Amino acid sequence: MPEQFNWRDAVRSRVSTFGLHPSAEADVVEEVTEHLESQYLELVPRIGADAARAQLLAELNDREFDETAPLLQKREHIPPTRVLGASSFWRDVRYSFRSFRRTPATLFAGATALALGIGLTTLMFSVIYGLLLRGLPYQRSENIATIFRADPQDRGQEDLVPFSDFVRYKSTQRTFAALGGYASATVNVSGGQDAERARVARVTAGFLDVTGVQPIVGRIFGVDDNIVGAPATAVLSFAMWRDRYQLDSTVVGQSINLNGRPFTIIGVMPERFEFPQRERMWVSLQLDPAQFSAGQGLGLTLVGKIRTGISFETANHDLASISKQLAKENADTAAVRDFARPYVRAMVPTRVYALLYAMFAAVLLVLMVSCANVANLLLDRISNRSRENAIRVALGASRGAIFRQTLIESGVVAAYASILGVILAQGGIVAFNRWAADIRADLPFWMDVRLHVPVMLFVIAIATVASLLAGIVPAVLSSRVDPGASLKLGAHVSSTRRVARIGNAFVVLEIALSSALLLTAGFVTTSIVRINDLNPRFRTQDIFTARVTALTKDSAINKTRFEAIESALANTPGIGGVYLGNGIPGTGWSGTRVAIEGRTYDKPRNRPSSRWLAVTPGFFSTFDVAVTRGRAITSADREGTLRVAVVSETFVQRHFPREDPVGKRIRLGDDAVAEWATIVGVVPTMFADSPDGNWPTEVITALWQERQFNNVAIALRGPEESVSLVALRKVLARVAPDVPVSDAATMPELLSRATWPNRVFGGMFVIFAIVALLLAAIGLYAIVSISVGRRTREMGVRLALGATHANVVGIICREGMKQSTIGIAIGFALGAALTQLGRAALFEVKPGDPTVIIAVACVLAATSLVASLMPALAATRVDPARALRAD
Amino acid sequence: MLKDELKKGSTEFLLLALLESEPRHGYDLQKLIESRSKGVLTFSVASLYPLLYKMEAREWIVGRWVEKASERRRRYYDLTPTGRLALEEQRLNWREFVAAINRVTGVKYA
Repeated sequence: MPEQFNWRDAVRSRVSTFGLHPSAEADVVEEVTEHLESQYLELVPRIGADAARAQLLAELNDREFDETAPLLQKREHIPPTRVLGASSFWRDVRYSFRSFRRTPATLFAGATALALGIGLTTLMFSVIYGLLLRGLPYQRSENIATIFRADPQDRGQEDLVPFSDFVRYKSTQRTFAALGGYASATVNVSGGQDAERARVARVTAGFLDVTGVQPIVGRIFGVDDNIVGAPATAVLSFAMWRDRYQLDSTVVGQSINLNGRPFTIIGVMPERFEFPQRERMWVSLQLDPAQFSAGQGLGLTLVGKIRTGISFETANHDLASISKQLAKENADTAAVRDFARPYVRAMVPTRVYALLYAMFAAVLLVLMVSCANVANLLLDRISNRSRENAIRVALGASRGAIFRQTLIESGVVAAYASILGVILAQGGIVAFNRWAADIRADLPFWMDVRLHVPVMLFVIAIATVASLLAGIVPAVLSSRVDPGASLKLGAHVSSTRRVARIGNAFVVLEIALSSALLLTAGFVTTSIVRINDLNPRFRTQDIFTARVTALTKDSAINKTRFEAIESALANTPGIGGVYLGNGIPGTGWSGTRVAIEGRTYDKPRNRPSSRWLAVTPGFFSTFDVAVTRGRAITSADREGTLRVAVVSETFVQRHFPREDPVGKRIRLGDDAVAEWATIVGVVPTMFADSPDGNWPTEVITALWQERQFNNVAIALRGPEESVSLVALRKVLARVAPDVPVSDAATMPELLSRATWPNRVFGGMFVIFAIVALLLAAIGLYAIVSISVGRRTREMGVRLALGATHANVVGIICREGMKQSTIGIAIGFALGAALTQLGRAALFEVKPGDPTVIIAVACVLAATSLVASLMPALAATRVDPARALRAD
Repeated sequence: MLKDELKKGSTEFLLLALLESEPRHGYDLQKLIESRSKGVLTFSVASLYPLLYKMEAREWIVGRWVEKASERRRRYYDLTPTGRLALEEQRLNWREFVAAINRVTGVKYA
């Protein structure tokens, strides 16, 4: 036997510099090696191994052999798959469709999971876009600003700008193309047909110009309309024009009576124009600037349109320099600052902003969970296809082509998912809008939640990102295939194992994200339950409320009217309680400043503020409110008798912590000469304002001791059929047929309006979390199933060697639960951060509430257990004999 | 040993002729040429394979991997129809060339 020599290596190193395609190189190496080996075997006996080897190596290294290079390059040039070619791109897309047709379940499962993520994200984005980003539906609406006054000494509370200061701004400013102010009011409209209550904005010239919207009939206000003594003018909304004048084109010049005063109609605005807040009409504000010194006059909300090319910063700088000038003239307002903010940003409360963006973050997490699900499905596919991919590489496919093929598959899933997701989002939008119409809350008029073009672009963007997120890891893994190793027998197992490890990581991620969401949702749900269980400390069931308005300016006549209405209602069978007052408890309290006798206040604004209701004695019986000390307000508390007040326990704690409040005297309102009211009783603190935050102090006075009577709130207690708008109108028809009734609602309706953001957005949070949990459970189930499939043989061996079914179930569940535990731990850390973001939606729940954490952990553990138990039980049905024969 | 020029011009003819009767692999061709020319014509891997690949590129011959029982996998070359035509043409040329030489030199083979 001659000495061995590795001719293959020699040939390979000789050929390797030729730059051949791998398959051409493999061919020539094999052919020449075989040649040289045969020749070597024959030469060695004749001339010896060393000489033979030297001769053949010399021949191999002869320059002449280089001539093979160009020939081989030409001969074997099978063009590899072009990575960037358009035709091969479509071929790959067609191939993906074909291969998905063979396994429709993968496509269906992947697209459904991703569609949930894309659908929820799109829904949330369309709400954010329609409410916050789209802005007002006017030209250059991003330049429309509202100007508020902030007093840093009064916790930065926003205030209106006095008329006199507005006049100064208007004449001095240089940064606004249009500037105007308004004060909203609700007035009685008469003249022509029925009396009605309507929301009207008293506006200055320039106000309507801010929007750039032109009237469809007539004109809008000019500077002359604001001059005192000029004819009072009004501009109608389209709705008012339609309802009262049947779109009569000769309406301009006609007269309309507001609170008994005639106004000349000068124009009509286009349909759906309700700026600034669902206005029915605009009237000219007529005030004489000369009458007011700095800081005086009616409080206005200012709106302006900043000139093109000028930033909010510059505009605010301009305002600040005028403010400084004003402060010199009026020491009382020295500290206040007026500042302009984008209209929508200023009008939407910060907590709604925070809530919407927290929810957007939540749906992005759902989207990530669904991406991880798709990634896992693709991983499973490529592990089943590692052999196919190895053959493709061996046959000349480049790794780039395999990489792209996998990405295209995830793109195909994302394409289906985005179509499905848009359908889901559209369903959600319809539901959202229907709910918004049902809720009858004062939603912003500019809110327009639809699949706008930017929303659709957003869908395309997130679908692209999602397909990359879901496809990148599987694509990298699939292109790393090693044809040599993968084509060997049993190689499948090792590559599957690597894929499974990454799949496990994805499942941990899914569980982590959905745990975070579920934890947040747990807190939110708890707070919804607390809100629904909220005890307002007054009766809310079987109570109907409305507001009636007097038609005259004479308070004495109005008072007589209201007293007649009260007694007529009290004598109506079926009505168990009648209340009249200046507001409805709950969200309808008025606010006032309170001065306590014997205490001194530097400035009027330093007096404490309090919620305030002026009530008839019926308040206590209708709302089941009982005094805890002293007495309630009775029918004896009338005009001419001692002025009385009842205060809440919070009021006592705040102002009389160590004294008996009964007998103390307080004075309400800004008027320093108002009559003192003597405290005669104490009631429990009732729910007021919004459900969150501390309940404010409350003062209750006697309605019939008041002086001003324009309108009153009415509450009637009784079964639904006896207390309703119809029943109220029937009684009013007898005693006061012409008074308008407005704001009819039941007490529970009123309360639910105050709490709707918590309930609706909270409910959506819960839906997001449940979707994420389901996706994660499916992901866990899939990964455990794959692992069970991989370990069929092992389980067979274990069963054959005497393992019980319980042992097998235990082994598999332990694996699933290990991932769940890691995932839940990571998720809770994440959830703590998310809860901070979603804090605005929480009510009476602390983000660290242990009962919530434990409950959520139990739900998660149970779900994970079920998801891994199902495949584990399947594993026990393995027949040892068959399992051992497999593979 | 023949001069390189002459050898190059004629070796393609030789290879075509050797492949006429049956497909052969590279080492087989090298041995046959050497033995039949009684050592006058010799080849090495460096001279043989550029030639074979050139002929293959011209589609005169085609190489196929063949596994025979109890033998290693080898690349066998076979004549294509084009190769057969080329062989006929070369034979014709050769005959004319030899006849012309003979007429000029008066050399006569027995």
